[in-house]
Amino acid sequence: MSKLIGMDKLRNLLKSIKHAGGLRAAAYRLYRFNDLRWGQYVGEDKYGNKYYENKFFFMGRSRWVEYPPNVGTDYDASMVPAEWYGWLHYKTDNLPTKVPPVKYPWMLEHSPNTSGSNQAYFPYSTTRQKIEPWLPPHLRSQSGQA
Amino acid sequence: MSLGALRSLAEKGRLVSRFPTSLGAFVTGNSHWDTHSQSPLIEQRRGAKRWTPDLEWLEQFRGPVLYAQPGSPLASIRETPWNALEPPREPKQLRNCTINFGPQHPAAHGVLRLVMELDGEITRILNHILGITTHALDIGALTPFFWLFEEREKMMEFYERVSGARMHAAYVRPGGVSLDLPLGLMDDIWDWSSKYGQRLDEVEDLLTNNPIWRQRTIDIGVVSYEDALNFGMSGVMLRGSGIKWDLRKAQPYDAYDEMEFDIPIGKRGDCYDRYLIRMEEMRQSLRIIEQCLNKMPPGEVRTDDAKVSPPKRAEMKSSMEALIHHFKLYTEGYQVPPGTTYTAIEAPKGEFGVYLISDGTSRPYRCKIKAPGFAHLAALDQIGRNHMLADIVAIIGTLDIVFGEVDR
Amino acid sequence: MAGRLGLVGFRVGHLRSPAPLGPGLASSWSAYGHLLRPNETSRIPIRSNYKQVNPGDPSMAWKDMTDRGAERMFFVEICRGLGLTLAHLFKEPATINYPFEKGPLSPRFRGEHALRRYPSGEERCIACKLCEAICPAQAITIEAEERTDGSRRTTRYDIDMTKCIYCGFCQEACPVDAIVEGPNFEFSTETHEELMYNKEKLLNNGDKWEAEIAANLQADYLYR
Repeated sequence: MSKLIGMDKLRNLLKSIKHAGGLRAAAYRLYRFNDLRWGQYVGEDKYGNKYYENKFFFMGRSRWVEYPPNVGTDYDASMVPAEWYGWLHYKTDNLPTKVPPVKYPWMLEHSPNTSGSNQAYFPYSTTRQKIEPWLPPHLRSQSGQA
Repeated sequence: MSLGALRSLAEKGRLVSRFPTSLGAFVTGNSHWDTHSQSPLIEQRRGAKRWTPDLEWLEQFRGPVLYAQPGSPLASIRETPWNALEPPREPKQLRNCTINFGPQHPAAHGVLRLVMELDGEITRILNHILGITTHALDIGALTPFFWLFEEREKMMEFYERVSGARMHAAYVRPGGVSLDLPLGLMDDIWDWSSKYGQRLDEVEDLLTNNPIWRQRTIDIGVVSYEDALNFGMSGVMLRGSGIKWDLRKAQPYDAYDEMEFDIPIGKRGDCYDRYLIRMEEMRQSLRIIEQCLNKMPPGEVRTDDAKVSPPKRAEMKSSMEALIHHFKLYTEGYQVPPGTTYTAIEAPKGEFGVYLISDGTSRPYRCKIKAPGFAHLAALDQIGRNHMLADIVAIIGTLDIVFGEVDR
Repeated sequence: MAGRLGLVGFRVGHLRSPAPLGPGLASSWSAYGHLLRPNETSRIPIRSNYKQVNPGDPSMAWKDMTDRGAERMFFVEICRGLGLTLAHLFKEPATINYPFEKGPLSPRFRGEHALRRYPSGEERCIACKLCEAICPAQAITIEAEERTDGSRRTTRYDIDMTKCIYCGFCQEACPVDAIVEGPNFEFSTETHEELMYNKEKLLNNGDKWEAEIAANLQADYLYR
């Protein structure tokens, strides 16, 4: 009966507003995420991304990430670390909090795509120079060449 | 260079080489220079060879390549080809040398062919979705584009699951396919294919009887069946003009001879017929997909001949012999016996053929890929005459041209 | 061969049944017969079902003509189309809200390259140059030297990611699972230079994505 008169829609809306944290926060969320919805909290990684799931939506929309509030609207899709990548892309149902992924001491911290910033990668040669330029003798000591 | 030009060149070369032998014999006493060049003053000393086509070799290419049996109604078509430089000659029996790339193991045969064909038909639907919806988009119908691209997205996901890439699959290999189908994929394809017919119905509701669509496509870009043959068209362009030619029926490859499906044929050869054919081909592809899913046999997906296809990874890491085969295959490849082959398949856009000449090494001596788009684009000038500019858009849409393919 | 021919029966009826389409094209099969390979000639007439898609000229009976006229006058087809699009307004949209929700991927996905390490931290690549040899786009450049401890390692491992066609042959060729095409596809850059990956960048990629790469290899190892 409640479904017939659309009560479940209303309940969903109220839940979504509660999920966002109040009316004002819901408006901001609508602006930032372009969407207003509620879901079950699944976990959080160490960069502050929170992960949610709501099986009501079809596969492709049923899992999502909420980027940390401090990035504002400067979020980027590459901010999701490798541990959560598989779950978010529906490769696996195992949560990294339940089934921890491999961990080695040499593994690096995740970093988002830095293109366009001043930390952007720029190519350089990893080998020795094959041709060394000749320098006149009085300049060699300055440039550190023997 | 056309064969005629080659032949005249050869005859010239023969004439020239014949001429100095009589003359040069007493001028210089040199009996060799006549084979090198036309003039005794220009003698090549670099060791480079000058190629003079051999008349006897050229003889085997004498005569038209596509020809009809005498008495056939097609014979009247080729009497005067529109660009004929010389009259067609008597047909000559071509001898095809087939190089067997396929799996030697009979049990693997069925799997491979069915997987390839499943692949092929999903590609066909992918292509036709792109073709029809962008065509409709060009003409001004935006909605089918959105509806069918949703389906396209789902199919590219299937692609990605089986091969690892959404478009550039790199899935079919010499001797089989790269990997087996993942578990559950066939169920999902079944789910999808059982619903896709409805999406097609919706688009047909929107377009097929729509007066705007009909006005934009009926009697636009008419290709008569003589023109279709003379322009070297293939695929939908040919069938739209009423020519019953489909390589899947004419020389069935893969497992097409075990499938039941119909080939849609047009009548007028206009844009509307070609649109109808593409819609029908998608439905027929669904039939083929369904039969493939039902008939998919168990078995290996690759031949176990280590000289042709690399061993499994686990085997490669444990067995020295497999590792050696692995190294040999990835550096040198496999040797193909000398010979030539022209192998063509019915791609969604038309006949896609590969002409290979092997000289017995692991690299082809020559490889020519015949893609259908070039012939279709070349005909645009002829088809588009006396049309409005806006109709050219509709014609290009049904020619189904991809410029990357034309401009290769 | 005989068994196969036995499976596929002849349907001679279909040779005659379809009406001639062009002038006298009904016997086009016999015309093309000699183009086929000898062992396939016997398979030509099998199930050669051809289906005419063009509805043909409309009927010219008075009733049909007036029906068509009425349909045209009242925009019946256009209204049907508009109704159909209107119905789609109320369906659930299929759009994904991308940077938050992401589409499904499989463990086989071939994305950004990475060089892996052994669990001890030693780099896997031994500079066998199989990937360089097999790369169809010739995007990989490798130089190798002997390291001070006597082992053979690369000094240069460059991949031009703008040449790469992501075919995955490099990871298939690699005998030690060193070069892999990882799961990441969000590595677009603003300049061309940033896509000329060198060894350092590739190793960093591997160190960043090892958790996911290892999971993918584990998920798919039975198939490889």
